[in-house]
Order: sequence, then C-alpha cells, then structure tokens
Amino acid sequence: MSSASRTDAQQRADDIRVFQRELERLERDGIVRLSDAQRHALEQHHERVLAEYARTFDIDRDTHAKQLSLGMRVASFLGALALGASVFFLFYQFWGLLPTTAQVAILLIGAIGTFLATIALQARDSTGYFTKLAAMVAFVCFVLNLAMLGQIFNITPSDKALIPWAALAFLLAYTCDLRLLLAFGILCVVAFVSARAGAWGGLYWLDFGQRPENFFPVAVLLFFFPSVISHARFTGFAAIYRVFGLLTLLLPVLVLSHWGRVSYLAVDSNVIEGSYQVLGFVVCAAAIWLGARRQWPEVVNTGVTFFVIFLYTKFFDWWWEIMPKYLFFLVVGLTAILFLFVLKRLRASGYQLFRSAV
Amino acid sequence: MKFAWSRRLTLIAGIVLILVTNAIALLGVAYNRSGEPESQLQLTERELPMSYGGEFASDNSGIALTLTWRVYSGKTSAASTPYYPYYVASNFGEPDWLDRSKLTELGFDVSTPLDAANAERYYEKMLPKEVLLVLEFDGPAYQAARARARRHAQSQTELMAANPGKEEFKQRADRAKQDLRGEERLGSRLFVIDAGLDATALRARYPDRGHYALVRGQIRPVLGTGAKRYLTGYVTKLSVDSINVPFAYRDVFEPFAKTNRQYQSEVDPRYETTTAFGKRLEPWIVAVGLIR
Repeated sequence: MSSASRTDAQQRADDIRVFQRELERLERDGIVRLSDAQRHALEQHHERVLAEYARTFDIDRDTHAKQLSLGMRVASFLGALALGASVFFLFYQFWGLLPTTAQVAILLIGAIGTFLATIALQARDSTGYFTKLAAMVAFVCFVLNLAMLGQIFNITPSDKALIPWAALAFLLAYTCDLRLLLAFGILCVVAFVSARAGAWGGLYWLDFGQRPENFFPVAVLLFFFPSVISHARFTGFAAIYRVFGLLTLLLPVLVLSHWGRVSYLAVDSNVIEGSYQVLGFVVCAAAIWLGARRQWPEVVNTGVTFFVIFLYTKFFDWWWEIMPKYLFFLVVGLTAILFLFVLKRLRASGYQLFRSAV
Repeated sequence: MKFAWSRRLTLIAGIVLILVTNAIALLGVAYNRSGEPESQLQLTERELPMSYGGEFASDNSGIALTLTWRVYSGKTSAASTPYYPYYVASNFGEPDWLDRSKLTELGFDVSTPLDAANAERYYEKMLPKEVLLVLEFDGPAYQAARARARRHAQSQTELMAANPGKEEFKQRADRAKQDLRGEERLGSRLFVIDAGLDATALRARYPDRGHYALVRGQIRPVLGTGAKRYLTGYVTKLSVDSINVPFAYRDVFEPFAKTNRQYQSEVDPRYETTTAFGKRLEPWIVAVGLIR
C-alpha cells in the first residue's frame, strides 16, 4: 500500500460524498436534471470506485465510518503506549534472573524481531492501526535495548544514543506513514540538538533543559524542514514538524518570560523576562501571519493558543493581586470576546488582511 | 533513473541500524574492560551499598550497587564548630581542594571579581560541567574525617565529665560516640579528592591504582557568602554511580535485597567487592565475597 495513494483515495471518497449531496440539492431545486441512465451510470461508477478503495485502502466510506475511525485511532494510540510500557516492564521484571549473554541476546532479538514483525504486518494491514501498535513496540524495544546495555555494562550516559533512536523512529514513521513515530523521532532530535547546543555552551549534556535557549536552534530547523524537503506524500507530517517547531520555540520563551534567571544572558532577570515576553508576542503574531499566508492552519492555531497564554499570564502577573476577582475575570472574558471578533473577521475576510499585507 | 525506496531497503536499513548500534556499544564495553584495569579498588558495603531501586523497585529484578562517595571539608566554614559530621564529610559539602585556581583549571570562567555587582548573578548561573574526578579509597581524606570525629567525641566526653549529671551533655557525648562509630565502621571511605581534565596528568599525580580511581563526574562552581565571599564548588554527581551486579554474583546479594543496610545504620558491612575501572573509566565488579 502506498501511503500517498491511501490519502488520495480517502480524499476522493470524501469528494464523491460531497458531490452526491450537492447533486441531490441541485436536482431538488431543478437546476440540473439527469436522465435515469445517466444517474444509474454515475451511481454505479461511484459505487465501484468506493468499493475498490474500501477493499484496497480500507477508507471511511461515510461519516459513521469516519467517526469509528477516530475511535480506532485513539484506541491504537493508547494501545501503542500501553504495549510499549508493557514490554519495558516485562523485561525489567525478569532481566536480573538471566545471565549477561542471555540479557544481551534477548535485547537484540527483541529489537530486530519486533522491527521485522512491524514491516511484515505493514504489508498486510491496510488500516495501519495494527502497524502503529507494532511500530511503537519495535521502537520501545530498541530504546530498551540501548538503555539496558548501558545499565548492564555501566556505560557512561551519552546523548549519542538519541541518534539511532531517532533514526529508527523516522525509518518506521516514513515507511509505515506513522505520525506517532514521527513525533518520537522529532523528540529524540530535539533532545539531541539541544544537548549538543548545551554542550557547546559548556554544560553537562543532561543539563540542557536548564538553559531553555538550547532549544531555539532545533526549533528553527524543525519549523522550516518541511519547507525545504517536501512531505506532500505523507499525511500530516509537515504539520507535525511545524507544530513541534513552534512548541520547541514558544515553550522555552514562555519559561524564560517568567524565570529570566535560567537564561544564558548575563543581564538583569527583569530585563530578560520583559524581552522574552515581547519576543513571545512577536513570534505568536508572526506565526499567525505566516500560517494564514501559507494556509497552515496548525501554525495559526498554535500561534493563537500561545498568544492567549502569553496574554493571560501577563494579565495574571499585572492584575491578579491588585484587582477584585470579578474585575479580573471580566477583563479576561472581555479579552476573549475581543479575540473572537478579531478571528471572526479574519475568517470572514478569508485572511485577506494578511494576504494584502504581503 | 529515479531512486525508489522499497520495503526491502527499509528492512536492510533497520537491521543494519540495530546491529551496528549494538556492535558499537558492545565494542565500547570490550575496549573498557580490555587489558589491565585503569584502577581496581577493594570496596565493601560501606562504599557500595545496594541500590534502593526507586519507585518501580518491586518490578525490577536487577540488583545494583551505588558507588557512595564523600568529600572532606576541613578548612571551610562547614567545618566550624559545632561539629556536624554530614557537613565535614558528606557528598554535598564544599571540598577543600575546589578553589578558584582549580575551577579555572577545570575550564570554568571565574574571571568575574567576587566583589563585582553582578558576581552573585554570574556565579549563580553557572551550571555543572563534566570533568575527571579522583576517588581516594581509605586514604588521608578518610583519615582526616575519622580523626576529626574522634577529636569531637573526645571533646564531648570531656565536657560531659566537666558537667556531671547534666542530661544535655550526656546526650551530646552519646551522639558524638555514635558519630565516631559511624565514621569508623559504617561510612564510606571513598573520597573525591581532586579533579582535572587530563587523565594522564591525574594518574601521574596519584599513581597508586589500588587506592585511587579516576571517574567521570560533574562539578558546579558556587559563590560562598558570609563574612567574606569566596569561590568553591560542589561535586554534584558521578556520571556512573550505579554498578550492576552480574548474574554470576546474584546469589551473594540476593539474601540482603530485603534488608537494605542504608536503613539499618547499626549493621556492619556484610560483603566486599573487587571493583575495576576500565580504559573508559567505567566500573564493573570483578569479584565478590562475604565478610564473616
């Protein structure tokens, strides 16, 4: 199964449903009128196409199937996490009772075996749900493999372990079209690049989280990566890169805007916090503008969410102590209404405001 | 010709990735343990108590020992009276040897004057750096800690004698005796006594491989305040402080697994180990024996 064609097939099926509904309306209003032969031919054609797609790609043929699919996605996500944890604790439960060679052999066979099983399952699983479960277990087995080798042989912890973990996660994500594995791969890359950035700044690598600026380089890399390398063949991959890029940038900015003392900058904490508060608003506004211009809804949504968070945390800092609570919440409520008006206007104008600014 | 990624290539790439990663890790282990160990110490349960195991202890069948180290603070304010054994010789004191020149040698930028307006902020922001640490087993640092505990016990006994019938002095003397016993029979004799960036230079300074081990660990500079500012630091952690017990020695440790000595301060050490540190300064247990 080609991942791109499954997406295409689902899109085509959705288009057919929309077309059928609109045709019904047009006929009812007397705008068009198909002959019985034409209608029959059209219905048969659509039925044939949908049946073929359903058989080959296991697409959702109607709204009910779509709702069930959402449930299956949630179930497979939770199942994948739970199975991964189960494998981890299974090994933990028994590893001490095994000789060292058996421990190493089990770890290696577990990693390779689950990887092979995932690829084999992917060839048969048209839905992708079971592949996701298997891929998650394979990834956990490989993480466990290296982590336990470190524990068994008392190896000095190293950020280099994040490279092969990321590599396997990406291999599984791109081969099996799995966004969950892509997210894990991205998290490994975030940790590795940030740890390297921290190490270049003279820190012990495990302390990279104590200087939030370490996350900035990888945030920029992630955000623009899908613009450099097209991800059109992979459903939602580009959006995930961009969202993780924004989260990796905006979460540290949020932290720095409240705890300036954890910054690399050797200036007064108040100055640092003020600067990052301004930067936070600027980045959010830029994200909303860029997202609207490029039609990246996930970027607009992330920008809006963080804009609100930055705004409300400032409100809290400024007014929580000095204002009566009814007034504080009134201001928050009025701001939300103002925000709704702005967004409504943006939506109504089809982002024309942004487009005309370019 | 357009290159097409196939399932076969995915299979090959994945298996190669897993095998090569494992091979690199295992070759590193083999290299660490090849030839003569860099150092080899005879440690007992005092220096290597069994690890508590953490939150998931009941789900973990593995047994690990914790490399327990201390630093001696003899000159700093921490060593001033009244005597607190945990400040004088613990793993969170200010080592005597960790001063401004040592921090400079370790690569920390300590050029900001201590009385500068931004000194407090500058040094507060400094984070740990990984360096090489020298672990001394049963050497001068331990002897100094023991002598100090003994002096304290002696002075408390004399005070009790000078104040007959007073409960407070009796309690203080009893506590001091208890501390001395802890120092002499229970506490770790493994002290971090130096640090550097060059293993060869450190080994030349401490050539006795049976009493001095080089390990990796982290040091963090600290601006000491009080009557006068001074620069010191903390040894925050050893990079590898947990040593796995191989299956071959499991029988020795299993009976003790349920009676962790850390919570039985009166229990004398029950086992001893020969612990080697290899070419990559990573430890492993070479031999184990029971103390009768």
